[in-house]
Formats: sequence, structure tokens, C-alpha cells
Amino acid sequence: MMANVWAVIRREYLQRVRSRWFIFTTIAGPLMMAGLIYVPAYFGQRQQRNERTLAVVDRTGVLFARLAPILEEADYTLSDEPDTAGAVQTLSQRVIDGDLGGLIVLDDQTLRSGEAVLYATSRPSAIRRISMQSAVARASLQAQLADRGVDADALMSGGELRVEMLTGSPGGMQEPRVAMAFVGAFLLYMVILLYSVAVMRATLEEKTNRIVEIVISSMKPWHLMLGKIMGVGAVGVTQMAVWAASAFVLASAALPAVLAANPELASLRDIGSAMPTAWQLLLLLGFWIFGYFIYSGMYAAVGAMCNTDEEAQQAQLPVVMLVVAPAILIAPVLESPNSAMAVSLSLVPFFSPILMWARAAAGAAPWWQVTLSFGLMAITVLAVAWVAGRIYRVGILMAGKRPTLPELWRWVREA
Amino acid sequence: MSADGFAVRLEGVTKRFGKHTAVSELDLEVPKGVIYGLLGPNGSGKTTTIRMIMGILLPDEGRVSLFGGDPGETRRKLVGYLPEERGVYRKMKCLDLVVFLAEIRGLRRDEGRRRALEWVERLGLGAWADKKVEDLSKGMQQKIQFIGTVIHQPELLILDEPFSGLDPINQDVLEQIVREFHAKGTTILFSTHLMDQAERLCERVCLISRARKVLDGDLRELKAAEQRELLAVEFEGPDAWLRGPEVAGVEAANGTVHLTLREGADHQAILRRGVEAGATIYRFDLVEPRLHEIFVRHAGDGAASDAGVPRRTEGAAR
Repeated sequence: MMANVWAVIRREYLQRVRSRWFIFTTIAGPLMMAGLIYVPAYFGQRQQRNERTLAVVDRTGVLFARLAPILEEADYTLSDEPDTAGAVQTLSQRVIDGDLGGLIVLDDQTLRSGEAVLYATSRPSAIRRISMQSAVARASLQAQLADRGVDADALMSGGELRVEMLTGSPGGMQEPRVAMAFVGAFLLYMVILLYSVAVMRATLEEKTNRIVEIVISSMKPWHLMLGKIMGVGAVGVTQMAVWAASAFVLASAALPAVLAANPELASLRDIGSAMPTAWQLLLLLGFWIFGYFIYSGMYAAVGAMCNTDEEAQQAQLPVVMLVVAPAILIAPVLESPNSAMAVSLSLVPFFSPILMWARAAAGAAPWWQVTLSFGLMAITVLAVAWVAGRIYRVGILMAGKRPTLPELWRWVREA
Repeated sequence: MSADGFAVRLEGVTKRFGKHTAVSELDLEVPKGVIYGLLGPNGSGKTTTIRMIMGILLPDEGRVSLFGGDPGETRRKLVGYLPEERGVYRKMKCLDLVVFLAEIRGLRRDEGRRRALEWVERLGLGAWADKKVEDLSKGMQQKIQFIGTVIHQPELLILDEPFSGLDPINQDVLEQIVREFHAKGTTILFSTHLMDQAERLCERVCLISRARKVLDGDLRELKAAEQRELLAVEFEGPDAWLRGPEVAGVEAANGTVHLTLREGADHQAILRRGVEAGATIYRFDLVEPRLHEIFVRHAGDGAASDAGVPRRTEGAAR
């Protein structure tokens, strides 16, 4: 009997893993990850090297020293040019030739009102204009305050709000983990939906092309459903493993190499430090597996009771809503992760894979809540399997119109 | 396995779909080791009957038994079932599909593979073994499916319209294979509306029409029962002499007139009447009725054949 299930799993797995679509997405995923990270950064940086070199003619004698650090922090390279006769003309020519990104002229007017002139060949983007404008304004302000004996530097740097966690509080969130919670939750949402829908499509296809008659004549419908779910799930795990491994390689091997070769890409270093821990990966896998079993069972039942794609589109709506609801709730739940609302929503088994993950990854869920949610999900998996198995058993061989709710209930009771 | 000697047995089976009754109070007994034909026009309930035998549909009334028990999973594994609607995994390679079908019937992979290769060679599909099923023609797909049906050497073959969609050469190949299985003691139940095939192959038949059984039994006995009633006549001249008290029906086709006689009719009296009427008679013999005729008579418009009114009254040809 298990040999049957095994044969179905094997077929489903090999068939999918060998398909062009799988090979393409599995390879293309990491390539896109790498591409999205490196390519724009690399080309952007290279193209901007000239544009970001600015010449400054400082007629006040005090502003350049204050302006330079501010703009250099924003990745500009500045040169302090002496204000000789004809300097503006020669420098303007170099701007026209493309050697320089621009020429800024600072004078007494700048010191008084923050006004300066930028000579450039094209109108700078809004972001760049604002960053230069505010840099000039800050430099002027600092100079003026310094004149009056005020130390503006500390205040101007933006200040700091240190958060002191009080002991006994139900656990707060650590900043960098919130991003992980978000990314992971959306990944879970996508992958659970993607592979559960794949189970529905596979079921529907078998049903409509009638091969199911032959298969069911040799095995229990429940075994076929189990085999389908496991086979498709194994494909999902494979794809996630490939993606996780390549993300790991990208971050741990490729990234340092790229950084070493291109020091100007230093901003990418943050990505490396945002990698999930082994514990988080384990949690992610756990939530994915439980979520997948809950939803794939429901989707298998939907596939079994429909006859066409259009019917299935409609019939899956209630199930889709169960997946989409927690996805919409991620943001509010992370906003106040320990509110009664957030805790209870994340304990609803259908929502747990996404919401409890988000809270746990953000460091807001105590261990007992995580454990409880896994317990509740386990019960739900069994309940879904029981109900879905019955619907599947009747539906898979049924032609004709889609059952109404009372009919479905009869299937569940009588099967 | 079987307690009662029947591979398949239906007792008073009825199946309704909404208001439509697809099968009505059907009794059917397929003894082990025979080739059994389930015959009937399109829509008469053949496929529904087969689906109930396979446990795909449950009867509303009556009992279906397979090898003397419920058509459960274990018993169904002893059956090779070729459904009417030929489903395949289109994206699979032919050989893989057959091996998969062997596997879910409990064969080991390597054994399944070995047999699959043999069969594929035998049916001339060797060159296609590694091609995807969707690249094959309909007929070839059907052969692949047939291999999948017999690969586990079932004790009972249930074939729903196995010959439809095959060219004459492949029909013969299939017929040959069916005979081989029969020689090995396999029970074969197949449905068809092609009477010639049924006539050549079947030992027993069951005729169903409009959801009801009209006739069943040993084909030779059925024919023998019909034989004395049918007279084939070819002649020239007047034709009024054909009708008489002993004649129940007259049917003309291709220059031959078939007379259906009443029981105990004296056919010599008819012959005398013909000679006296001045007809030149070329042929006058009692024929074994073809299954086709039996079928038409019983499954066709029942009222007409009983009333003794000739269905076609145009006179003899030649």
C-alpha cells in the first residue's frame, strides 16, 4: 500500500523537477536575486563616478570645510578650487567636457541665506538637488551657529533615541529582525499558495483527463491525494533548498569577493549581515510545511470537486481568502505584535504559518505561543486531511456540476 | 478468490443520475475464463455498468460483486481496466507511464520496466518508448494505455470499447492479444457496439438497450435459438408469396430477403407458394442469424418486431 503512495510521490516529483518550468525558475530565482543586488549597484556606481565629482569654488573661505564631510557622506567627491580669475570659466568648461559632474559656487550670499549656484550640463534629479541643497543649507547654518559659539555638530547629526527595554515586558522587537519577519512572511505566503494551487491543478488535470479512473482502480483515493501532496511538497522543499543555498553562497562567498574587488559597493555589506539564523530557517521550514499541509489539502478538495479551470477559480475563493487575510494582516500585527489581537490572530491555525512566523521572527512571540501554534496547526492538518480526503474521494470520480454546500456536507458525512 | 465461480456478478443493479435512469435492474453474471461481450447502442448504459463494476460509481440499488466480494481495492487490483475515456499523463514518457501504472498495481519497478519494454516492442512502439505521450497519435496512445491495462497480468480484463479508434490492423493485433489472454485463462469483459467484433470474440454476451437487459447468455445458444426462425431468400419475379401465416417479418437488404418465421412454421409451404407464383428462386436457406440481426431485433424498436409488421416492405430485387 505504501508502495502505491511512493510511486505517486515519485512520479509527481520527477515529472515536476524535470519540467522546463521548474528548472528555469529554480535557476532563474538566484540569478535574479544576484542580478537585482549587484547589477544596478554596479552600473549605477560606475556611471555616477564622474557625475558625483564636484568642484567647489568657496569665496567665503569657511564653508568648504563644513560642506565637504556632509556631501562626502552622500558619496560625492569634492575638490576645493581656488577662486582665481577665470576659474569659473575653466571649471565650467570641464563640466561641459564631462570631467566634472558640476561646479558649486559659494559666496557671502550662501553664508547668509543658504543660496548657492550649481553649474551643470543637465538639471539634477530632484533627490540629488535636495541632497545638495540641504547640504549647503546645513553647512551655512553650522557656520553661522559656530560664529555665535554654539556647537551645532551634535544637534545637527540628528540626535539619538536610546531604547531601554524594561525587564518583565513580554518581549519586544529587535529592529533588524522586523525586515526578516516581513520577507519571510511574504515568502511563506507565496510558496504556500503557489504549491497548494499546484496540487489543485494536478488534481483537476487528472480528473478532467480521466486518468484518475485508472489510478483509482488500483489505489485508495486517500493514498492518491497523499501522494500528490507529498510529491508536490517535495518539489517545493527542493526549490526552497536550492534558493536558500544559493542565497547563502551569494552572501557568504560571492558578496565578499565582489566587495573586495569593488570597494565602492560597500553599501551591499548590509545584505550579508541580514542573513537569517539557522533557528529562523528551521522555523521558516516548519511553518512552510504545516501551512502547506493545511492549504494543499483544501486545494486538493477544491480540485476534486470541480470539472473545469473556471469552476476551480470560483470554488477556491474561500480558501484564497484564508491565505490572503494573514498576508494583509502582517503589517498591523508587526506594528503591535503583542496586542491581544495580534496574539489571537497568530494562533488561528490557518493564519499561523504567516502571522506566528512574523511575530516569532521579529522576536515578539514567546516560545510557548510558537509551540501552541504548532500544536494547533497539527490538529488542523489532521482535520483538514480528514474532511478533504472525504470530499476528494467522492469528488474525484464525480462528473457533472459542482456540488453545493449541502451536497459537500453529505459527501463528508457519507464518504 | 471467487466463491461462486463468477468473476463479475450484478444483482438487480440500478443507477440513476437525477431523473435519468442509466441502468435499470440489471442482472449480469460473467463466469470465470470466458470472453464476455457487453453490447448495446450508444447511451444504453454500458459504461455506467462497467464503472459500477470497477467501484467508480456506486449503484443506487442492487449488489455488485467482483470475484465474489465487494469491488474493493484489493479485488480491483486483479483487474486490468481500460476506461472508455482514455486518460494519460500527456507529459510523461511512454515507458515511464507504463512503469508507473505497473507500480501502482503492485509490481516492482524493475519488473514493471522489463515487462513494459517487452510489450512496447511487441506492439511496435519501441522507437516511441522515450517520447512523451503527447507526441504520439491517438491510436498509439491507446496502445500505450492498453499495455498499462494488461501489464500486471490481471485475472480479469475489463475493456470499455477497446477497439474504437484503432485501425483494422491494430484491431486485429488487439484481438489476437485478447485471445492469448483468454487462452491463459483470463476472464475478459468488454463493451462494444461493433457487432462483428463481438461475434468473432465472445462466448457469452449481454445485450442492453435503454438501461435494461434485453438478452443474455451463451452466444451459440442464442444463435441456435434464433436460427430456425430466419430464412434467406433470393429470387426474381412476384413477391406476394413471401407473406403468409408462417411469416412474422420481411426484411430486404442487398438483394436478399430475410424472412422471420413464426415458431413451427413449415418453410416448404412457402417454397411451394413461390414456385406456384412463378418466381425464379436462386437461394432459399435457413441461416444462422448474425449477432447484428439479433441485436437489431431485440434492441431496436421492440414493438415493431413483435407486431409481425415487416419493417421494410419494398419488394425483392433482381
